[in-house]
Amino acid sequence: MDDPVIVAERLEKTYRVPVKKGGALKTLVSRGTQAVHAVDGISFTIAPGEMVGYVGPNGAGKSTTIKMLTGILVPSGGQVRVAGLDPTRQRRTLAARIGVVFGQRTQLWWDLPLIESLELLRYVYRVPEARFTENLTAFRDVLGLDEFLQTPVRQLSLGQRMRGDLAAALLHDPPILYLDEPTIGLDVVAKGRIREFLLEINRERGVTVLLTTHDMADIAHLCPRMMIIDHGHLLYDGSVEAIRDRFGTERTLVVDLETDEPSPLTGLPAEEIRADGLRRWLRFRRAEVTAAELIAAVSARYGIRDLTIEEPEIEDIVRRIYQEGIGTRNE
Amino acid sequence: MRNEKASKSMPVMPKQPVPSVRPSVLSPQSSVLRTEFSLYLRFIAARIRGQMQYRASFILDVISRFLVNGLELAGIFILFHRFSSLGGWGVGEIVFLYALVTISFAFHEVVAQSFEDFSLTVRQGEFDRILLRPITPIVQVLASDFQLKRLGRVLTGVVALILALMRVHLTWTVGKLLYMPVVILSGIFLFAAIDLIGGTLSFWTIERTEVINVFTYGGVYMSSYPISIYQAWIRRTFTFFIPIAFVAYYPGLYFLDRTDPLGLPRFVSFLTPAVTVIFCAVALCFWEWGVRQYQSTGS
Repeated sequence: MDDPVIVAERLEKTYRVPVKKGGALKTLVSRGTQAVHAVDGISFTIAPGEMVGYVGPNGAGKSTTIKMLTGILVPSGGQVRVAGLDPTRQRRTLAARIGVVFGQRTQLWWDLPLIESLELLRYVYRVPEARFTENLTAFRDVLGLDEFLQTPVRQLSLGQRMRGDLAAALLHDPPILYLDEPTIGLDVVAKGRIREFLLEINRERGVTVLLTTHDMADIAHLCPRMMIIDHGHLLYDGSVEAIRDRFGTERTLVVDLETDEPSPLTGLPAEEIRADGLRRWLRFRRAEVTAAELIAAVSARYGIRDLTIEEPEIEDIVRRIYQEGIGTRNE
Repeated sequence: MRNEKASKSMPVMPKQPVPSVRPSVLSPQSSVLRTEFSLYLRFIAARIRGQMQYRASFILDVISRFLVNGLELAGIFILFHRFSSLGGWGVGEIVFLYALVTISFAFHEVVAQSFEDFSLTVRQGEFDRILLRPITPIVQVLASDFQLKRLGRVLTGVVALILALMRVHLTWTVGKLLYMPVVILSGIFLFAAIDLIGGTLSFWTIERTEVINVFTYGGVYMSSYPISIYQAWIRRTFTFFIPIAFVAYYPGLYFLDRTDPLGLPRFVSFLTPAVTVIFCAVALCFWEWGVRQYQSTGS
């Protein structure tokens, strides 16, 4: 295996936050602080070309970790190395070798047409003109940028803006791409398009991708490997398959029936957990029945107009890991 | 300016030695500066293009700024309608000081206003993005809020200068002609440096604006009048601590061929550029330190 491009060893970040005690005046004067261990000694390595999902509940330490990997934040302890560089000491050199997309913020110029933002970034990263044209042509095609290349960024939809941001983050051919909630707030079609693009740049360009997300479907589509963080600790680092088999075993089939049927539906290898008129939620276990078998069973008895399968939420998985424990940490 | 110096809390990994050269270090410092300056120009050109999309609103903005600040100027004339002189200074001389301060301050508002709203940049996490780009943060911050519409106030300053020169019949010399642009440029940098210090404070507190406005807006108002009329502690504050007196009053003594009533030597008039350089250097060091604090606190 190649040398890892990202190495974190016992990485720590401790924030000091003011403690409120007593009245406002007392808080102003005393300024007592309390240490909050946002990231509390986590270690991992990522090899070139890997695509890793980094998941955890809100406030688990995901963003703090990413900020330390980019050099925005100085770790309070431990060591980190990205692309052979020390992120905080060589932040600006590293900046040329990473692409970063924050799902909730754009790096594009609000007032300017998308194409002008991309042109400006060409100068920021000193991308040779020929390479810029080459990349832009490729991205226009895969991301479908043409329809809004001349539109000011403030007028773009969230999905369009995200596509623009992805192109912007990759113009300078960074070998490493960090994505913080890249599909947040997007509809199914837009999510699909972004996932396809990420798979392609990972496959064609060998870009190493580390992405944080709340959406287990992102992980299921994109990442063979996932790391789960909670309260600053790494709960799990290993294959997505293993975690799904163990903890993500219960999925839900949501069906819209053609005619109303008495609730609950019977004679199915699944349990109806919710009903809302024609819409029914059927929970089933991966080990007992496949989604295809269940769909076949339902449609044999009832008319189905529409259906979706809901993957377990990351919060559910983390909760189950706590309840049931985990034997295969850092396998 | 680099923010990549060794940090105490971050031990170097022993396994791989840190590569000591980077492209930007290999090239001479001057070429780094040139690249960053040309980027700055590109950024502001892009911003102006963005702002010019609404041409009518732009023109109205310029005019309204001109008029609002013109009221301030009118105020001085109204004041002198009652009192013919102030501490031995006539209305023309006062308006001359006002013009110097206003032109410098207004230009500074065009180019360096972004530091006044910098707490917003920090709070919204935009500063993270700035740290993620391979350009000096200060260049990006400066370029993020270049506002051409603030030229309206420059216009007020120019009108004030014309009105002043119509009254004081200043005796022009080559020296004065050459020194005038130097003084105005220094003033721009001085005000920008004060804002930079204020902006740096927003790494720790969001209440900075009020504190620093005492010095910028208060300083502008104060230094439109001869500093000799104020109490000693005010004179000292604005000479040694926040050297706004060097924007108009001290060089003004030279332009107007006056001597300081408090007996300051003549050469003080010519200290403006030196004071500016020192003050800017202090502000820059403070900023650089603040950036490193931000990186280790992650506010």
